Amino acid sequence: MQSPVTPFTDDFSLDLPTFERLLDFHVRTGATAISWPHHKGESLSLTIAERKLLAEAAVRVVNGRIPVTIHVSALAVEDTMELARHAQKIGADGILAITPYFWTPSLPAIEAYFVRLCRAIELPVLSYNSPSYLAGVEITGALMSRLIERLPNFAGVKEASFNSEKFLEISRAALSSRPDFALLTGVEYLLPSIPLGGVGSYSAAGSICPNLCSQLYDACMQGDWPRARELQYKVSWLWLLFRDQYPSSLKGGMVMMGRPVGPTRPPLPTASKQRQSHIRSELERLGIFDSEPHGW
Amino acid sequence: MPVLTPGLVHTPVTPFSHDGGIALEVYGKLLDFHVANGAQSLALPMHIGESVSLTDGERRALLEFAVARLGDRIPVLAHVSESGSAIAAELARHAEKAGAAAMIVTTPYYWTPPATMLIEHFVAIGAATKLPFFIYNAPEEMQGARITADLCRELVAKLPNFAGVVDLSLDWQFMIELMTDAPRVRPGFQLISGTELMVSPAAIGATGMFAPLAAIAPRMVRELYDLCRAEKLFEARPSQEQLAALRQSIKLGGVAALKAAMRVMGRDCGEPRAPVLALEAVSLQRLVSELEAIALLHSEPRGW
Repeated sequence: MQSPVTPFTDDFSLDLPTFERLLDFHVRTGATAISWPHHKGESLSLTIAERKLLAEAAVRVVNGRIPVTIHVSALAVEDTMELARHAQKIGADGILAITPYFWTPSLPAIEAYFVRLCRAIELPVLSYNSPSYLAGVEITGALMSRLIERLPNFAGVKEASFNSEKFLEISRAALSSRPDFALLTGVEYLLPSIPLGGVGSYSAAGSICPNLCSQLYDACMQGDWPRARELQYKVSWLWLLFRDQYPSSLKGGMVMMGRPVGPTRPPLPTASKQRQSHIRSELERLGIFDSEPHGW
Repeated sequence: MPVLTPGLVHTPVTPFSHDGGIALEVYGKLLDFHVANGAQSLALPMHIGESVSLTDGERRALLEFAVARLGDRIPVLAHVSESGSAIAAELARHAEKAGAAAMIVTTPYYWTPPATMLIEHFVAIGAATKLPFFIYNAPEEMQGARITADLCRELVAKLPNFAGVVDLSLDWQFMIELMTDAPRVRPGFQLISGTELMVSPAAIGATGMFAPLAAIAPRMVRELYDLCRAEKLFEARPSQEQLAALRQSIKLGGVAALKAAMRVMGRDCGEPRAPVLALEAVSLQRLVSELEAIALLHSEPRGW
């Protein structure tokens, strides 16, 4: 599943035409779903009005070809609620929400938050578990079970612990209560998660190498582990390249692929020419230019 | 350089008698039990074997006893971690002389060294012998101290006998980075799962597994290991989930819980040494009822 970046013009304002082109690119190159705006889409550097505007564009451009989910996490929970209701109104297929920012909420506070969110809308809600970015705040296996029991639309998790024990804690708890609960990894850690009941991932590198991402997914689903291993090593190496000041380097790499999407909003830096040429040489080394689409 | 593929590695506890001494007779029975129940190698004394609660003399005597008892049945990996580099190197030299097949070392206790000091520490120990040298990456047991793929890259260049990493960080990115790189520079470099959560490491390329839970459920451990080695990863999920449940029951109580569970299974190895306390009655009760609820234990061996 692809989560597009957010294109900006040189003065850092939204670049709607490029966003539309990018959405179309993802749909054409094998995305199984679109989800926007993840942190990679600079969600927290967008105003609420901007988020609504581009959410509407996403639903309109994708036009039912694949599902669209909207990431609604905002610093203020009241904004999150507003974005969730908006997503439902414009016809999105679901929403995604991380545990609340900043407050390091307790488990009962996290529970109350998801209960309120899930009851405010009818859309499926995907939760987002990212302890390493949120001071250890996480949804435990026991809390997953409780939320599943209480909330019929609590449908899945974007899991970003990338740790065997955490993943198993959640998968055991969730899949025993709801067998079709969607266990997704935050970036393309498909190889270690799919044998444990994972069903997919969001993609970090999909705007650079959509073919590689699809091949990795297929190899894992088919249980072709030697091939999956080679592909996973490659994709994870790209994650190392791009995660620095994410998504600055990714946007820099998109320039090299003939799909420029403009700068990154401060406080994140925009990839310098030097950084871009470093990325170019790494992409060359991995043969990405030969195997992946150039331009739109 | 000598090659060793440890495979399925059991990590025996250290039995103590009522007077607090090592119960060597029980230890002998325990080693035989592990050999008879699926171990391909033993690593001892690991933290679960209370290495840090043994005196230097006891550690040496324990290793010598184990090597003699096992004969040529299966190899022994000697755990030689210490705070001081020279003390650890001395233990490593003893391990080689005593007949260990490999040495295994984690980050130094208590100190929180930067990467350069870690490298010096590992090189001092690794270069002390010609034995294959494995690093035990266990941030959870070591107050967060962990090794990185970069550090391993440097060590591969510096230590010809650096043979692999036993990973208890459970960190997918680390394992993937390590396996993308190290085996290319050093063919045969091994990733070994540091605990019974082997499916993800096996997918990434792990060829071995450390198994403290083999003291309780050796059959399930062996089943998981065999499925992982045969790359039947989807098929391995049920036994993986059961062992994850067992691990969760034992984890909080650590070695005290493992020893209590061993008693339930008819293999009494006494209580842990100070400062670790035996399980309180309430925790013990909870553990026993959890163990009874885990169906797999009904098909595991009782007694010695």
